Amino acid sequence: MTLAGWIFLVVSWLVILLLFAFSLYRTLRSKDDSR
Amino acid sequence: MIPYFVALFLLGLPLMWIEWTIGRFGGGFGHSTAPGMFHTLWEKNKFIKYFGVIGIFGPIVIFIYYIYIESWLLGYSFFALFGKYNACTTEQTMSAFLQGYQGLVHNEHFNGIGIAYLFFLLTFLANIVIIYLGISKGIERVCEYGLPILFVFAIIIMVRVLSLGAPDPAKPDWNVVNGLGYLWNPQWSALKDAKVWLAAAGQIFFTLSCGIGVILTYASYLTKNDDVALSGLTASATNEFAEVILGGSIVIPAAFAFFGPVAINEIALGGAFNLGFVTMPLVLQKMAFGNILGFMWFMLLFIAGVTSSISLAQPAVAFLEDEFNLSRKQATLILAIAGFILCQPAIFFLGKGAVDEMDFWGGTFCLVLFATIETILFGWVFGMDKAWTEMHVGSDITIPRIYRFIIKYITPAFLLFILGFWFSQEWIPTILLRNVPAENFWFIIGVRLMLVGFFVVLVFMVWHVWKRRRRAQL
Repeated sequence: MTLAGWIFLVVSWLVILLLFAFSLYRTLRSKDDSR
Repeated sequence: MIPYFVALFLLGLPLMWIEWTIGRFGGGFGHSTAPGMFHTLWEKNKFIKYFGVIGIFGPIVIFIYYIYIESWLLGYSFFALFGKYNACTTEQTMSAFLQGYQGLVHNEHFNGIGIAYLFFLLTFLANIVIIYLGISKGIERVCEYGLPILFVFAIIIMVRVLSLGAPDPAKPDWNVVNGLGYLWNPQWSALKDAKVWLAAAGQIFFTLSCGIGVILTYASYLTKNDDVALSGLTASATNEFAEVILGGSIVIPAAFAFFGPVAINEIALGGAFNLGFVTMPLVLQKMAFGNILGFMWFMLLFIAGVTSSISLAQPAVAFLEDEFNLSRKQATLILAIAGFILCQPAIFFLGKGAVDEMDFWGGTFCLVLFATIETILFGWVFGMDKAWTEMHVGSDITIPRIYRFIIKYITPAFLLFILGFWFSQEWIPTILLRNVPAENFWFIIGVRLMLVGFFVVLVFMVWHVWKRRRRAQL
């Protein structure tokens, strides 16, 4: 695997994980608020 | 992967927000399918509701072949558990096993299509029962338990694959890291190839269920202040986590580690059937506890498949319930009878190209056409100011402002480019059946007539509903 491949993989995974964590956190928070 | 991510941010995410918003907006007027929703967005246009028929037709066409392929997953999960394909250790023998199961050939593994048909009946029945139970008791319950199981299974298999290293010490380059490299090393020259961009866009459509009509129906059940911006983002992010991080770390890296850099190209070109039902059983067999992992893998995909197929049926059921005032039981019964009849060509004419034909019209053409229509309707007819305000009603997040520009200009331009490219490259040979072998010609004509007939019936039903509504208003 090339260096460019590693960079692409790490950046993509980070973006997806951040989006996933952010959306999950906000969804759970808004559920709590609605209670 | 670069075109894939570009398509995700320029097509996938905008379409998710568009569909969630149109769905909730239309639901507010008592419509849960595209004909009524499109009419609500553009009341002055008498014909726009007929374009909405694609949002019922497309998912049902996908449903009728998807449910058969889904039943193979159930079958293979049992075959893996009981070691029925353990004797198949090469691509050729595993292909023969698959062809025997599909009833395409008679061989030592299968003596006809009987076993495949039995698993189809079980899968079809399971789907109908879940659809009959409705959204909260059926679909939500399946997803509530099914999706966490799916994630746990996927994480176990991912850990197993990533710890494989180089399975054959004599071939140290055939390892999982290089398998990841096959997927992630950027190939800059491929960016000039339009077909790569089209394939990436197609993948985004299918994976996010955009342009099908399913999201419209689900979103119609939301209330006015439910958050569509966050829901669209959460659905996309969760899907990307499952597809790119979990899925992308299992199939291709494992296949690369066991079969090497030359064979992986042939496997990738062989298509999804070969990858799923020939390569993956072979890969899983080569691992410790292969039968258990094989069972988990196919059961995982089966659960994922069920959540998709019940969604695909939902627009048709909702259309019958809302526009014809039928009960859930009556609507499900009509779907079951019509769906069962329509499924038969996919089962018995698989070898004649019936599934490929349905996939082209239902799973490719309709998706892009429907997405183009709804994007233009949303950004240009409904108007970007109203659309942007509607997207943010009840929203816990603010969508980046750049998406105003993307939704209005970039997404429709991207979609029109795809339609234009296909029209110039593929549609004419496809419409004229130039790539169909002579022996399959009449089978494909038969499938097309069936699809046209089904579409005409849906158009007539929409016409009838609006005629009745007009009379009631007078």
